[in-house]
Amino acid sequence: MPQGDYIELHQKRHGRRLDYEERKRKREAREVHKRSRNARELLGAKGKRFAKKRYAEKAQMKKTLKMHDESTSRQKVDNVQEGALPPYLLDRDQTQRAKVLSNTIKQKRAEKAGKWEVPLPKVRPVAEEEMFKVLRTGKRKTKQWKRMVTKATFVGPGFTRKPPKYERFIRPTGLRFTKAHVTHPELKCTFNLDIISVKKNPNGQMYTSLGVLTRGTIIEVNVSELGLVTPAGKVVWGKYAQVTNNPEMDGCINAVLLV
Amino acid sequence: MVQYNFKRITVVPPGKDFIDIILSRTQRQTPTVVHKGYSISRIRQFYMRKVKYTQSNFYEKLSTVIDEFPRLDDIHPFYGDLLHVLYNKDHYKLALGQINTARNIIAKIAKDYLRLLKYGDSLYRCKCLKVAALGRMCTVIKRISPSLAYLEQIRQHMARLPSIDPNTRTLLICGYPNVGKSSFMNKITRADVDVQPYAFTTKSLFVGHADYKYLRYQVIDTPGILDRPFEDRNIIEMCSITALAHLRAAVLFFLDISGSCGYSIAQQAALFHSIKSLFMNKPLVIVCNKTDLMPLEKLSEEDMKLVMEMKAEAMKTLAQGGEPNEEGVLLTMSTLTEEGVIAVKNAACERLLDQRVEIKMKSKKINDCLNRFHVAMPKPRDNKERPPCIPQAVLEARANAAAAKEKKKLERKLEKDLENENGGAGVYSVSLKKHYLLADDEWKEDILPEILDGHNVADFLDPDILQRCEELEREEGLRLEEEAAQEAFQIDGHELTEEQREILGQIRKKKALLIQEHRMKKRTAESRPIVPRKFDKDRTFTTDRMGRQLASMGFDPSAAVDRARSRSRGRKRDRSLSRAGTDGDDMDIDGQQSNKKLRARSRSRSRSKSRPPEEVVPGEGFRDSDQKKKAIKKAKDSVKKRNKEARRGEADRVIPTLKPKHLFSGKRTLGKTSRR
Repeated sequence: MPQGDYIELHQKRHGRRLDYEERKRKREAREVHKRSRNARELLGAKGKRFAKKRYAEKAQMKKTLKMHDESTSRQKVDNVQEGALPPYLLDRDQTQRAKVLSNTIKQKRAEKAGKWEVPLPKVRPVAEEEMFKVLRTGKRKTKQWKRMVTKATFVGPGFTRKPPKYERFIRPTGLRFTKAHVTHPELKCTFNLDIISVKKNPNGQMYTSLGVLTRGTIIEVNVSELGLVTPAGKVVWGKYAQVTNNPEMDGCINAVLLV
Repeated sequence: MVQYNFKRITVVPPGKDFIDIILSRTQRQTPTVVHKGYSISRIRQFYMRKVKYTQSNFYEKLSTVIDEFPRLDDIHPFYGDLLHVLYNKDHYKLALGQINTARNIIAKIAKDYLRLLKYGDSLYRCKCLKVAALGRMCTVIKRISPSLAYLEQIRQHMARLPSIDPNTRTLLICGYPNVGKSSFMNKITRADVDVQPYAFTTKSLFVGHADYKYLRYQVIDTPGILDRPFEDRNIIEMCSITALAHLRAAVLFFLDISGSCGYSIAQQAALFHSIKSLFMNKPLVIVCNKTDLMPLEKLSEEDMKLVMEMKAEAMKTLAQGGEPNEEGVLLTMSTLTEEGVIAVKNAACERLLDQRVEIKMKSKKINDCLNRFHVAMPKPRDNKERPPCIPQAVLEARANAAAAKEKKKLERKLEKDLENENGGAGVYSVSLKKHYLLADDEWKEDILPEILDGHNVADFLDPDILQRCEELEREEGLRLEEEAAQEAFQIDGHELTEEQREILGQIRKKKALLIQEHRMKKRTAESRPIVPRKFDKDRTFTTDRMGRQLASMGFDPSAAVDRARSRSRGRKRDRSLSRAGTDGDDMDIDGQQSNKKLRARSRSRSRSKSRPPEEVVPGEGFRDSDQKKKAIKKAKDSVKKRNKEARRGEADRVIPTLKPKHLFSGKRTLGKTSRR
């Protein structure tokens, strides 16, 4: 019965096999051949895994080699300051606008527009057929006025369904979400926060009122956990965030906080 | 009885391999082909299966890890403490707890995504959800990979722990480093413990086994202990302390009296006193080792005093009822010269055994066994002699019987006596032929061959062969006489007239013909089925005719006719109720029938009869048997036509065309052979 480090003990007492070193050397020498054979012959998932691992190893190797080379090889230093001008523009002066007034108006407009400058300015429009599924009702299933939302939705806590006769849009419970993973772009941290409301869905007012969450939707999240403070010293608890993924595809909501 | 064997714990794969194992398993064990054109429910089911399967595999694997690792609170406190010393209880529990949490999280993820998959409306969406689900599960595992790595290391270490049974007879060897503990271990057991001339050669517990009085003793070699505060002790020393604290064993405290280990006797005595509390309620033996370097007697006075002090303490450890036994407490030996080694082992085993028996006797359980046996030792009441009383008559009868036996013995020689006379057992062989009952006593010793001319003699042995032989001879004589008479008649034949001779010739011809006919019949009759009378169109073979013929020949035909009628092929065994009823009456009336016929009838009756089909069984829904008969008839009529036309039914035997010609011949263009 083995106890303790019996292999080491045996080696200590009797030494290694006489051809241990040679076997070891040969095994190492064979290793490359074995690996190349694997690279050629592995199939399917195993092959994929092998290739990925090998690629990572090689990339790492290259990086290390480069790091060691740094001391000898020359590199172009390229630290240009912000706002530097090329030499051919150095003798020029800044032009003064004549129409100051119109300029300020333009600027104001731009500012107003910039209020909604968001991380995802443009999104793919979602067609109605994609958004809704038609439910056929009636005894003979001939009526087609009912719709089911096929995307993730946010439904407020106090929501009660209408009687089925009047309920035009169904938001299935399985697709309702109440939490979102919100990333703070400056802190580079992600928090799991409660959704308070849907501010705006880029696809239309109706979707906003239905609380549909698609890519690019602006939502209001509860940031009281983060402990953000306004310049006045009050604790901020509601902040806007924009959804950055397709929640119905990923099964979760990722958003970026708008700061 | 719990066996402490940590060798069976399955391998805990590192986080990365864990993920690979599970994912490749999902890939291999679930279907892989799905198309956009499939019905959405099928697509959903395809992906749901993948998610569920992955989750259940994760669950299973993590559960085995959680179940197989021992829970420190459940195992013996010795192992509990040992594992705590070696691996730190908090860390261990935390790792297992993390795995448990991961298992639950994965279950929850699977549940959520299965719910979402139910709303999947396209293959792409379902696939995205599956990918997200598996990805999240893998992330969970990735996060616990440090715990997995830690558990794997523990598993490898635990597998190497010696299998110590905390409840058996155990000898525990302890003392300062380098005092000769391991050498002693190597001497009394077959364990091959490393012995080196430096401190802390033994870094963990080692187990060996020794025999004493046909009992097996577990001997545990512990690492050396230094005399320092409890908190300062390192893991190696703590192993020994754990063993000392939790095992109910005989403790052998080793003392190096020569001081060659680097510690003086005073230091060793200090250690003894500091860990004295661990020796309580255990038989303790103080072993003075290395007497080859320095005998006990040559010790200086102060040292001797210290040793004696220790001895006095050692006697106190075992709270025995009687006078503390002085022998077997302080022993000397030398592992180098093997002097006193066995004595030490024996003393320790003896004391341990005594203590264990005593504890057992004190325990509650012993009463259950003890009250079952009782050894009665009656004490004499007084000095009066009370011999058994035997009546005079009995004594006389006994004497008579003995005398008769003796006499009989003299009269008849027993086999036993013969044996004694002829060289005793082994030399004398009993003659089995002695008691044969034969006509002549001389034949007894004759040699009878078993096999003669390739035949077994016993097969041809006939006890009354002589009698038969006589009978045969008598018969032969009779026949000879008859033949002689016949010859006389034959001779007479020659004197027949021409007319008589002609008649004789006719008779002989007819006889020959009859014989030939009979033979013909006999040859075929056995195999020929009996032809029903209706096919005997000519009515040639009637009983009337037979009767007439017999009558003309001058016999009474009635018996023969009866016999023929009884033998003729009658109706088949019948099942109808009516016939069964009348049959019984017949039997009673028919008085003139011969006994033989009666017997035959009764035999046929005894055969079991199955239920007639027209009998009404409750539950069939027929009013009476008439109605049922009608129904049966109708059913038969309905299939009559079909049967007549010989249409093919499912019960018919079918030989399919195994290789249809059109599939195996001719030129082919598109498509496979099986699809043509």
